[in-house]
Amino acid sequence: MDLAFLIASAAKVLIVLGFVLLGVPLIVWMERKVIGHMQDRIGPQRVGPFGLLQTIADGIKLFMKEDLIPAGADKVVFIMAPALPVITAFLALSVIPFGDTVTVLGHVVPLQVTDVNIAVLWILGTTSMGVYGIVLGGWASNSKYPLLGGLRSSAQMISYELAQGIALVSVILMTGTLSLASIVKQQEHGWFIVPQFFAFVIYMICGVAETNRAPFDLAEAETELVAGFHTEFSSMKFALYFLAEYANMMVVSGIAISVWFGGWHGPFLPPVVWFLIKLSLFLFFIVWLRATYPRLRYDQLMSFGWKVLLPASLLNLVVTAVVLTLAASR
Amino acid sequence: MTEAILFSLFSLAAIFFAFNVIFRKNAVHCALHLVGVLLSLSGLFVLLNAQFIAAIQILVYAGAIMVLFLFVVMLLNVKGETPLLTPGTAKGFGFLFALLGFVELLWIVLGSGGGEGAGKTAPVLPSQFGSPAEIGKILYSTWLFPFEVTSILLLIAVIGAVVLAKRKFAS
Repeated sequence: MDLAFLIASAAKVLIVLGFVLLGVPLIVWMERKVIGHMQDRIGPQRVGPFGLLQTIADGIKLFMKEDLIPAGADKVVFIMAPALPVITAFLALSVIPFGDTVTVLGHVVPLQVTDVNIAVLWILGTTSMGVYGIVLGGWASNSKYPLLGGLRSSAQMISYELAQGIALVSVILMTGTLSLASIVKQQEHGWFIVPQFFAFVIYMICGVAETNRAPFDLAEAETELVAGFHTEFSSMKFALYFLAEYANMMVVSGIAISVWFGGWHGPFLPPVVWFLIKLSLFLFFIVWLRATYPRLRYDQLMSFGWKVLLPASLLNLVVTAVVLTLAASR
Repeated sequence: MTEAILFSLFSLAAIFFAFNVIFRKNAVHCALHLVGVLLSLSGLFVLLNAQFIAAIQILVYAGAIMVLFLFVVMLLNVKGETPLLTPGTAKGFGFLFALLGFVELLWIVLGSGGGEGAGKTAPVLPSQFGSPAEIGKILYSTWLFPFEVTSILLLIAVIGAVVLAKRKFAS
């Protein structure tokens, strides 16, 4: 392990960390603006040009707020819980390639924090660990609505993880590798969205459900559960849950881009720019969904996940396997 | 050197968490420490070049099974009042099984597996050792029969769960 490798890795970690921390306020601003216009409002416009600094102002406000811990709460778990989804989101982001290799001072540096040969499993593993933050947050608050929200979301995430994983497996059958860098490289002359469109649709539905975004935001359904699992959280603990939600949106979009939309491949513009363009489009799409669809009912959510998405993803997997076997035997 | 440091880190963490699983009175805390044990173990798997098993360990055990554990513990609302060691036969059986496990471990360590030369030189690993592709090849050729038997066992468990859940209670 030489020094150059260490420095390059540290730099990449800092870049990704900084990108997410600076990107999240921008996404929140984008979401408020976009939803505002979709609902015939104008959204934030007072702080800074176009209201750009609104989220920064909100962030500063959250920093200054009193940090409340409910009397009956389990203190250690209550403090630990908001950090977990943030940690897992960053861990998942570490395997997403955001550009081709660059040469710095004679060293070839791949633009990806780390290229592990089990990247897809790594992402599924870390996102499945993210459930703990929500379940534990709900439980440690020692309050009814948070507990209900936490339990709902854990059931929801476990149910939708299955179909999401199987949708990814269909593509992995075609690529023969679990490394995201190799999957992106294979898409130089054709994106996997063409042969695996159904897998993408299933993955994207599950991805939105995994991030607890509308129309799957059952865990924090305001009309039934106050604010769900984060009702009792205030100040930066509350902000951390929000940071995790938006970072997870980036993770879901990043995987979709790398697996189905050719990663950083694209004509004329540099790879990193292409990745950022695709990422912005995906984030816009997720926000657009929120402004379009009403929230599902809980039983609808469960029966949709188990009776529609899971069989559909299994069918897609079987068809992919059969087609690949027939193609190989020719 | 790095490997030794990482090994002691992960193994000490695993032991620490394992003790807490037994001695914590709050059932949710126990479950959380069990997650810690599983994560430390997956770290050890990575050190053994078994990345695939490490990832599966996190994905299946820490990520799915333990969430269901927590789910059940929270819904049942287990209070921290259950005594640590139940008196009588349960305690006796516990000691008996612990002793048996210890003897078995001792047997393996002192026996052929841990005899002369064990742990002295690292064996030369095949280039793709522990990768999903290699595991798949071995699983579907040499160990096909045990694999299929396991899958049938799991199928039986799934059908059993469905039958139990669908049972109408006469009330």
